[in-house]
Amino acid sequence: MKRHLMGVVAAGLTVALGVSGCGKGSSSGGDSDGKTIKFVAAIYDDNTKPYWDALIKDFQAKNSGYKVNLEMVDWTQMDAKVKTYVQTKQVPDVLNYNAFSDFARDGLIYKADEVLSPGTLGDFTPTFVQQAQYNGAQYGLPFISSARLLFYNKALFKKAGISDPPATWDEVRADAEKIKKAGATGYGLPLGPEESQAEFYSWAMNNGGGWVDASGKWAINQQANVDTLAFLKDLNKSGLTQPNPETTDRKTVFNQFAQGKIGMAIGGPFTKAGFIDPVNKELDFGVAPLPSKSGTEHNTLGVMDVLAAFKKDGGKNKEAVKKFLDFFYQKENTSKFLKTEGFLPVTKSAGDALSADPYMKQFVDALPTSKFAPTSNPAWSAVAGAVKQDLGSAAAGEDPKKVLDKIQKTAEKAG
Amino acid sequence: MRDPKTGERGAAASTAPRPSLLRRTGRALAPLPWLAPSLALIATVVLWPVIEMVRTSLQKISSSGVTLGYRGGGNYTDLFGEDDLVPVVLRTLLWVAGVVVITMVLSLALGQLLNARFPGRRVVRWAVIVPWAASVLMTALIWKWMLDNYSGLVNRVLLDLHVIDEPVNWLAHPGQAMLWMMWVAVFVSLPFTSFVILAGLQTIPADVYEAARVDGAGSVRTYFAITLPLLRPAVLIASIINVINVFNSFPIIWAMTGGGPGSKTDTTTTFMYKLAFYDQNVGESGAMAVVNFALILVMVLLYLRAARWREEVR
Repeated sequence: MKRHLMGVVAAGLTVALGVSGCGKGSSSGGDSDGKTIKFVAAIYDDNTKPYWDALIKDFQAKNSGYKVNLEMVDWTQMDAKVKTYVQTKQVPDVLNYNAFSDFARDGLIYKADEVLSPGTLGDFTPTFVQQAQYNGAQYGLPFISSARLLFYNKALFKKAGISDPPATWDEVRADAEKIKKAGATGYGLPLGPEESQAEFYSWAMNNGGGWVDASGKWAINQQANVDTLAFLKDLNKSGLTQPNPETTDRKTVFNQFAQGKIGMAIGGPFTKAGFIDPVNKELDFGVAPLPSKSGTEHNTLGVMDVLAAFKKDGGKNKEAVKKFLDFFYQKENTSKFLKTEGFLPVTKSAGDALSADPYMKQFVDALPTSKFAPTSNPAWSAVAGAVKQDLGSAAAGEDPKKVLDKIQKTAEKAG
Repeated sequence: MRDPKTGERGAAASTAPRPSLLRRTGRALAPLPWLAPSLALIATVVLWPVIEMVRTSLQKISSSGVTLGYRGGGNYTDLFGEDDLVPVVLRTLLWVAGVVVITMVLSLALGQLLNARFPGRRVVRWAVIVPWAASVLMTALIWKWMLDNYSGLVNRVLLDLHVIDEPVNWLAHPGQAMLWMMWVAVFVSLPFTSFVILAGLQTIPADVYEAARVDGAGSVRTYFAITLPLLRPAVLIASIINVINVFNSFPIIWAMTGGGPGSKTDTTTTFMYKLAFYDQNVGESGAMAVVNFALILVMVLLYLRAARWREEVR
């Protein structure tokens, strides 16, 4: 008798397994009323979750009947998670991410004007609106931004007998040599798989290079880029950077920078609170424009993260999503997020609040001249991935042209 | 129970043949209720994922994750067109062979040691289990920090002993990085393997050794003529499981070098991950997964054949 029972249980279990395994629901259940939405937020640091928890509580209190389910995802798992959501048709209603154009291409997300009130829509800074477009229409909702500038250690500069931060590449080289003589590393070059695309572009854009040509076609192996990579390789070969840039991440560079072991490195507004202060609050450092080859122009790298609103159940979620987004984009809510996390505003109204802080002001001021990676091209994620993997090996020894050719090939394959 | 005198079965068969046929098929299907659960279980947890994997490798999947229909062998053409593929596969074979052979040799020694009677044996057995209980990812991370260029313990010790003059960035040089990662892989495979060997050693009856002693065999002769042959099933099982584990080992490489610089320390497993999440090409990654799966099957089958599995285990 017992055995029979076990058999029945086992059979039941397998059937249940099979059903749950094969069943691909068209959407997550329970939100058919269109008033409950799922929001997937990225974890920027320990303060992120408390911020969203408080915001959602506030939102629900002011909009009775509406509910937001929050899911926090770490940046390292974000790509994998997002792919799974899309493949299993379990997309969130709102996603906080760094890419949107392939969702737009595949018809997965709303246009910005479908889920934002005109007031909110008009408040975005035009630079970011341009970055959030795909095929001429705005799909991405600018969320936070960031700019990159040159950080330098004032004490080391004094010790090496340098008065001003470098403006040209020749000066970078000369200063790095002086700092090396003073017993420290001249320039910290993070070309490891973490964010080498940002580091490289910061140099390339100040040599007239970039990811695409004037017509928007991939031009990763253009001469200006090859020259830039050769310059960085030469810095490394001359012993003016830390050893092995191809395996070094920003965190390591700024850890050393904070300890006074590195003279110069490129960082963003979050660098002080995130990387320098935890190691050495007393560090005397300055922030300067990114050096360029000629010394005449100084472009800044701009970075933008976005929110994307997914289409679900034939548009039933539109109203709730709109309510939630308009709530978040209220001035006090956005600026609170920016202050908590150390990022720059994407809306005009939140802009002024941050300029009071002299450290942050330098970055806010740099934003209008900033250049962005071509995030509106759906192939950009694949290109960034290829750059992260391979670019560093050029600084270590491979031929720069060959490495850039390989990345160009990946870019063309991705579309 | 049939009554032989009435011949009921024959009569029934002549007047109505159908019940007999029914009964026969019924009898053939009788074990089904007992077999079905395990068949269903195998189908869902083993076969279905494999089918899904092959299906993925034949599809065109957009970078956002949307499936855009069948692509035939396109993903495979792309995969075999990758310059990195051949070095990665060769490195994987080297990685598996190296780790498994070293692990087996060390485990045979360790198993022997654990099987011997000595004071404090229980403590030593526990000590061998510890690396098994620790998470592999944690072990790999700890080694990554110990090998750190600036503040790693390994560089500190070597500097203080004047073995090296300046810190070495161990994990930045592909050759050295591979050796260190293989060492970590051996370190985490040892506990399981040596306990399988230990279990094998304990099944060998003592009288076999007594007979050998009576015949005048020395300890080396005894080991190679008696212990090793009798350990064969244990060695077989341990090495097959290790081959599969090491082949698919992801956390060690991912935590220590991320397969870098470039793809110079990638194995097929990390390469597969990079194809999907760096190159945003899930389909090609699926093709890599199928190739990986086939490689493991072939390797295990070749090994079983070489080890003459059928004669051994029946």
